[in-house]
Amino acid sequence: MKTLVIGLGNPILGDDGVGWRVAEEVKRQLPSPFQGDGQGTGVDVDCLSLGGISLMEHLIGYDHAILVDAFALDEPLGSILILKLSDLPNYSAFHTTSTHDTSLNNAIELGRCMGAHLPDEVEIVGIATRRIYDFSEELSAPVADAVPFAARVVLDLLKQEIRKSRRKSFAGVPLAILG
Amino acid sequence: MTQRISIDPITRLEGHGKIEIFLDEKGNVANSYFQIPELRGFERFCVGRPIEEMPLITNRICGVCPEAHHMAAAKAADAAYHVDPPRTAKMLRELLYSAFYCTDHTTHFYALGGPDFIMGPDAPVAERNILGVIHKVGLEIGGKVIQMRKYGHTVVEMIGGRKVHPCTSIPGGITKGITEEQRKEIEEMGRWAIDFAQFSLKIFNDIVLGNKQYVDLILGDVYTHHTYYMGTVDENNKVNFYDGKVRVVDPNGKEFVKYAPKDYAEHIAEHVEPWTYLKFPYLKNIGWKGFVDGSDSGVYMATPLSRLNASDGMATPLAQEEYDRFYKTLGGKPVHQRLATHWARLIELLYAAERWVELVTDSEITSPNIHTKPTQTPTEGVGIVEAPRGTLTHHYWTDERGIVTKVNLIVGTTNNYAPIQMSTHKAAASLIKDGNVNEGLLNMVEMAFRAYDPCFGCATHSLPGQMPLQITIHAVDGNPVKVLKQFC
Repeated sequence: MKTLVIGLGNPILGDDGVGWRVAEEVKRQLPSPFQGDGQGTGVDVDCLSLGGISLMEHLIGYDHAILVDAFALDEPLGSILILKLSDLPNYSAFHTTSTHDTSLNNAIELGRCMGAHLPDEVEIVGIATRRIYDFSEELSAPVADAVPFAARVVLDLLKQEIRKSRRKSFAGVPLAILG
Repeated sequence: MTQRISIDPITRLEGHGKIEIFLDEKGNVANSYFQIPELRGFERFCVGRPIEEMPLITNRICGVCPEAHHMAAAKAADAAYHVDPPRTAKMLRELLYSAFYCTDHTTHFYALGGPDFIMGPDAPVAERNILGVIHKVGLEIGGKVIQMRKYGHTVVEMIGGRKVHPCTSIPGGITKGITEEQRKEIEEMGRWAIDFAQFSLKIFNDIVLGNKQYVDLILGDVYTHHTYYMGTVDENNKVNFYDGKVRVVDPNGKEFVKYAPKDYAEHIAEHVEPWTYLKFPYLKNIGWKGFVDGSDSGVYMATPLSRLNASDGMATPLAQEEYDRFYKTLGGKPVHQRLATHWARLIELLYAAERWVELVTDSEITSPNIHTKPTQTPTEGVGIVEAPRGTLTHHYWTDERGIVTKVNLIVGTTNNYAPIQMSTHKAAASLIKDGNVNEGLLNMVEMAFRAYDPCFGCATHSLPGQMPLQITIHAVDGNPVKVLKQFC
């Protein structure tokens, strides 16, 4: 089971960069035996500012992916939303779509047509934001407060996925270590 | 009674925007406004930082063309430090940039511009995308597109240090060179890219130029404007993406001005309209006369088509052949039909691939002489490159320590804000008659600006794409009289 966690967004556009902060926190808290090496062992964690085909290209070779992203729906700031890519209610709410080419769903279909191995399902952890048009490296307080919670959500999803694999070890690591 | 049509958000457009079309009582277009939300506070964000950081920060402005911002910022920093990078450093930057161009132009043609022609402007919206293209033309195309992108990313990573958001260009040059082994690999990929570009031009030739309906559409009046054209040229007035002087030709194709990057402010000014935060650049020495065509209007365009119009040709042989065929087919220079931009983009793709091979086979490309140490006190500097979407200008001022005190950017698409406004208005006026509005017509309005490949958000916040599109027609009392939807 090759797993990838991606923080999406623009780290210099205020709350838009929250996905990066969460991904960094996940990487920090991930028990060391599960830290990815980029070669398929453990959980790889990355931070990207991409969508569409470019994002799909980063998912090639993985069995499972979790995207962490800012979203701009009318939810209270800092609210956390968990859903699957196939359930996205609004294509425009996340970075998964690139206006330069196509949606991530379309891009994944394109990749599969080309024979690429891509995750069967992509999970999304979204954090509600609104201040995404002002250049800043700072998160607003409610969004910053949500970072540890969102990181916990991602770690729990990873744990569930690992247990679902019904194996005694995950990427060569005994599951007991996960606690 | 006035009706209002909103196209919000626009499909397949960088960043996100909204078109408001106001109909008169007969149902014909009275006015239209192309509105874009602007990202704020970039100058404030940059002031106080060392100028060396600018190539790393500005490439975060845009998730689509970070390489263009990285290059313009590095060149502006070179200028601010009064330092001239060694030849090999310049070639490595341009090599990276050529590979990036191949990736970017490929993606635009196959995912954005191409579907309108390959699937047809009236095809269902769910099919007018890259998946529709590969299902219609064949899986082979999808594989080639992915391969082209992969090669482009590989070269950007080898020279730029990262697959996206390169980080190796610094004032005075570049931080890493390439080995002979890498050089050979890059050359092999570049030769493949030339074949791919020719393959793409053949598709355009067979599917678009071979279809009279499409040729008529391209040559028709709906997508035609007579404006000035801008592009960067080398010492022989041939197209160059990385370096040279900015040349502007008038609507008759005659050179109006050619200036060094540092002199841009003498030639470009910006007009403000009350209904948008974005400014409209225009030619200062002609003046702003409104959203109108002609030699007396300072409106200019900066796109692949503009670059071809503003030059005397391409600097590589295969691209030059295509350049000649382009003007012969379309009736001579300059070409004013905006939809021809898609063809011009493919000619540029071929040029970028040829230039890629030309640079990587230069005997000095593996030289270790890749950096000139800056020794002078920094002051101010301008860096200009041709971004895929238009001439990109970065201008920085610093104090004596090299700390940024002021910033001015004119990003590629901003040059084209006025022409895009004119094109969307003209397309709407031509295609929406007597209140007759349907999805196909609205897509053709979108086609008017899609040719420019606009990137107004100029940020990684890439919201729309193939996304919910709701078009609401309002009567003067505010009540919706008609709603069209897609992906909702």
